[in-house]
Amino acid sequence: MIRSLILTTVCLLVWASLAAAKLDVVVTLPWIGSLASDIGRDKIKVTTLVKANQDPHYVEAKPSMILDVRRADLLLFNGLELEIGYLPVLVESSRNPKIQPGTPGSFDCSQFVEVIEKPAAVDRSMGDVHPLGNPHYHLSPRNIYRVTGGITELLAAVDPGNVGFYRANLAGWQDRFKEKEKQWAEYPLRGKKFLPYHKFFEYLAHEFGFEILGYVEPKPGIPPSAGWVEKIIELTKRVKPDAILTTSYYGTREVTFLSQKTGVKYIVVPHDVGATPACKDWFSLMDQVLAELK
Amino acid sequence: MIPFFVLLILGFLLGAPHAWAESLEERIKKLEETIQKQQEVLKEQQKALEDLKEQSKQAKVAEPLPAAPAPPRDYRLDDRSRGIYVPTASPLTPYSLTKQSATPGLMNPAISLILDTEYYHSSLSKAELQSRSTPGFIGPQDPPFDEGFNLRSAELAFFAPVDPYFNLYATLPVTENGVELEEAYFVTTSLPAGLQVKGGKFKSGFGRFNAFHPHAWDFVDAPIPYKLFFGGDGEGLIEKGAQLTYLPNLPIYTILGAEVLQGENDTLFGPDGGPHAYTGFVKSSLDFGANQSILFGGSVVGGKTNTTSFAPNTLFQGTSVLYGLEFTYKWKPSRWRSFVLQSEYLYRHQKGDLTDTVALTKDSLKRNQDGFYAQALFQIDRWRIGARFDRMAIFKDEVIRAGEKQNYSGQPYRWTGSLEFNPTEFSRVRLQYNYDQSDPNKLNQEIFLQFLLAVGAHGAHAY
Repeated sequence: MIRSLILTTVCLLVWASLAAAKLDVVVTLPWIGSLASDIGRDKIKVTTLVKANQDPHYVEAKPSMILDVRRADLLLFNGLELEIGYLPVLVESSRNPKIQPGTPGSFDCSQFVEVIEKPAAVDRSMGDVHPLGNPHYHLSPRNIYRVTGGITELLAAVDPGNVGFYRANLAGWQDRFKEKEKQWAEYPLRGKKFLPYHKFFEYLAHEFGFEILGYVEPKPGIPPSAGWVEKIIELTKRVKPDAILTTSYYGTREVTFLSQKTGVKYIVVPHDVGATPACKDWFSLMDQVLAELK
Repeated sequence: MIPFFVLLILGFLLGAPHAWAESLEERIKKLEETIQKQQEVLKEQQKALEDLKEQSKQAKVAEPLPAAPAPPRDYRLDDRSRGIYVPTASPLTPYSLTKQSATPGLMNPAISLILDTEYYHSSLSKAELQSRSTPGFIGPQDPPFDEGFNLRSAELAFFAPVDPYFNLYATLPVTENGVELEEAYFVTTSLPAGLQVKGGKFKSGFGRFNAFHPHAWDFVDAPIPYKLFFGGDGEGLIEKGAQLTYLPNLPIYTILGAEVLQGENDTLFGPDGGPHAYTGFVKSSLDFGANQSILFGGSVVGGKTNTTSFAPNTLFQGTSVLYGLEFTYKWKPSRWRSFVLQSEYLYRHQKGDLTDTVALTKDSLKRNQDGFYAQALFQIDRWRIGARFDRMAIFKDEVIRAGEKQNYSGQPYRWTGSLEFNPTEFSRVRLQYNYDQSDPNKLNQEIFLQFLLAVGAHGAHAY
């Protein structure tokens, strides 16, 4: 009697979990959500914790985010300690065993990335340096190609019933990637010289062959002082970069000033999916970024 | 190939002149077994390879793309990401779902050290500070700061996951008097249904301010209601005990919690034979767009009381219940702008006997008293200005001793203003001024210059 009751309960539970069907995928950054949606489509429900207008370095761990993580079947994040200021507290407070560190549901996208700028030695006198290397790899097609493969395999492993669906979506995504890659190769970025406000474009520079002359920020995370700005103005006049680069969440106050003083234009580069209405997914984000730099 | 090689060795062993017949037989048996196993493994591997080939054909997974054109000149970047372009989705590439980072030192707990040091000036002398009290609420307390230079603490904090089921935290403020064990507790991570257990010595979930360590306070010192109801420097309820919290899957964030505590807080409880304090709390949070959110809730803590904090030469024995209401509003449009409004209202109900330890008389004592604070902090770039107002006896100030209502003068209050400069998120310089009438008879004007510096592991910040 008891045994059959237990059996029925188990069957019911299994049925219920199968009926619930849609995987609840929580991602930290919009671009991760875009990739997950491309592969999972209507089989998954994507919740993005960080909004497109937010600085991904400084995110407040709001209670509503804890609730989002509590419901997650999978948690996909950038890694390389970019989310260190808020994600650990969200994960612990979520009380969700499925996405605790070390479980398959806790998915660090950077595991597929060829990380650059891994400092040999680091201390905070250098500013807010990322000790595991440069975490802004999302503008790097070759790395994103691998990350998307990884996300596909993750979905396939957690939801084996839809393996074919996910793999087929990946194949479609990869076809699109190849097409886009040809287009992107046409952009005349090779040999250009840029002066970014902060570290953000290194992977892009690496793959598309432009130069980064230096940074408006004296050290990562430290806003420029008046004296430093004078130095930057002098440098800008001397080396004549093609443009000064910044992202929307940094504001345009400093770069407008620099631009006026030096006659070098500044470009506000969309930093993530959703930063401008045209950046609908990762591909259009790349389109926009490269078009801005052209 | 391998089996053949093994057979050769076997042959050699068979021919070995000094071998004992028995052990030889055994060895042959073992070797035969090994060979069989190896053959099985080989078969399996072959099958797996073929399966993989099939899969790759079927799923049309990712043939390697032509390598991206290498940039002509590398600018301040290392060379490791060049030329390797193996899609991980390829079935032949080893692939794991777990994290692959293997940074040395990863097995050590995350350790941080926070230095909390200040320069303090008061308009009162040391003797005057020592004799200050808030009549009806609390007797004289040791002043937390001395005129001149102070070192409140160098706070050591440890954190590490214990195993897949527990996280461990410890906070050890090192002061000139030695090392304190402020907190040391575990938190479960893998309980089902949104449940979590905390155990050890920890800051209670009661109220809002209570959860924060002194270095994370928005002002140098604690709100007056915390100082008067919990005593000491107002650090609140830090107790040995166990906590159970529940985060239901509701459309809005709501957390429910209950605690059983040893009840060692000198002011509110005091020593007794065993656990004799209990708390319960519920908190909710709502978002208004991406940049605004509120957190609000109510808490209650109650238990047996046995304290000498009422006034010098007294002993109070009875029961205490403290109720708390909290409200926090945050507006944070960017890293460089924020506005935070926070307020709490506390109400204490206390009943029991008050013994005069000199005259050895015993009276009944009943206290119903309240207090609140409200504070606002506004951040512009690396600067932050703050204002705070504390006031006791807002709606209720009832002290009935031996059936007679006691009359204590005034409504204790305090004004605070502060200015902070935060060079990075790891350092803070704070200038603060207090206009303190918490002792209605002795105005205390205080100035603080505080330095807070953090090194070590980067802790995540709670809301």
